[in-house]
Amino acid sequence: MDWFGAEIAAPMVAARAVHLAASAITAGVLIFDATVLAPAPSPVPQAPSIGSQLRRVVWFALAVSVASGLAWFVLQAAAMSGLALSEAIAPDMLQTVLVETQFGQVMLVRLLCVIVLAFCLGLDRIAALQRLALAAALGFVGAIAWTGHAGATAGGEGVVHVAADVLHLWAAAAWTGGLLALVLLLVALGRDPEASSARIVAVRRFSALGLASVGTLLVTGAIHSWILVGSLRLMFVTAYGRLLMVKLALFALMLALATINRLWLAPRLETGATARAAAMLTGTAAIELLLAIAVFAIVGALGTQHPAAHFLNT
Amino acid sequence: MGRSSLMTIAGLALLLAGGQARAHAMLDHADPKVGNKVSKAPHEVTLWFSQKLEPAFSKVTVTNAAGERVDTGKTRVSGSQMSVSLRAGGSGTYHVEWHVLSVDTHTTDGNFTFQVGQ
Repeated sequence: MDWFGAEIAAPMVAARAVHLAASAITAGVLIFDATVLAPAPSPVPQAPSIGSQLRRVVWFALAVSVASGLAWFVLQAAAMSGLALSEAIAPDMLQTVLVETQFGQVMLVRLLCVIVLAFCLGLDRIAALQRLALAAALGFVGAIAWTGHAGATAGGEGVVHVAADVLHLWAAAAWTGGLLALVLLLVALGRDPEASSARIVAVRRFSALGLASVGTLLVTGAIHSWILVGSLRLMFVTAYGRLLMVKLALFALMLALATINRLWLAPRLETGATARAAAMLTGTAAIELLLAIAVFAIVGALGTQHPAAHFLNT
Repeated sequence: MGRSSLMTIAGLALLLAGGQARAHAMLDHADPKVGNKVSKAPHEVTLWFSQKLEPAFSKVTVTNAAGERVDTGKTRVSGSQMSVSLRAGGSGTYHVEWHVLSVDTHTTDGNFTFQVGQ
């Protein structure tokens, strides 16, 4: 298969894309819960009704990320060993990948995060465990940075690269999972005029979360591109660069929608045509969410490509 | 989001500025040096790469002018460095084939030669 001139190994890209999106949604919904729905002194009014729905979303996303993560691990083991998939799933080969490679060790740490997260979600009546659940989810998503190109960048630049990628992953999770949670919340609140204040508070807080996420994504994305692409020319002549440009175009569309939401629709929630503005806001946020999913498909492919910068020195 | 469009411009400016770059395990240098001539057959070949390697999936093989394997088969990996001991293999052109997996899960391979003899 061929995407924008990039050779695509479909099963690997699909497993990575689904895994990254599901992991981001797992953490992002919990981030939304902690920063939008229920920041300590003033939880969003009428929000508790959506709490159990979001909890089911987190469980489902976690289950999907575990299944797709296993698929990614097995496909990666086959790619690393150069063996056919049927040969690579031999127990001692999987054990070698799990124990002896950085990729395997990081996946092991992430599996521990899943176990802690599942434990905390199961016992979430206790407030301290909710914070631990959020921490475990952030660990689960942030650790992905060490499986990729950043985990292999040498020296001081490597520290910057990994830090940028961890922040990038968290911000992407906050935006994507937050969008999903926001859409579900707006749908749940429906056209109820009495839910107006809940809508206003939730959208205002999500705007702040979104702005912080977008700022973080731009800065950390620029650092990542600086290290892995290196020059504008390589953006055009390498498959990695072209995929990255598609990703940036999708991101720009998301930004445009977010700008409409923030500057035009969100203020209307507080003035006259509340119901109509709420319906439109739900629609644009849903489209933004679909674009975010498309971004994850591109990211699934990017990690399998040789970074553009590779071609600088050869 | 006027502020974020400014940041977009800043981000693109950063891209335009470009930067030095390193990614994937590429051969940095080797001993004996790539393409060079040495007077005596070396006891080992060492390769240095641009990235850290996964020992479980990185190896190097060396053949002599007659096409016989002269490496002991046991590749030693330490960080971004990989070496293998050699048996005596006479003079002539030695071929070094390497295949490495870097810690970012990408495989690269390559080969080079060096000359042994007067």
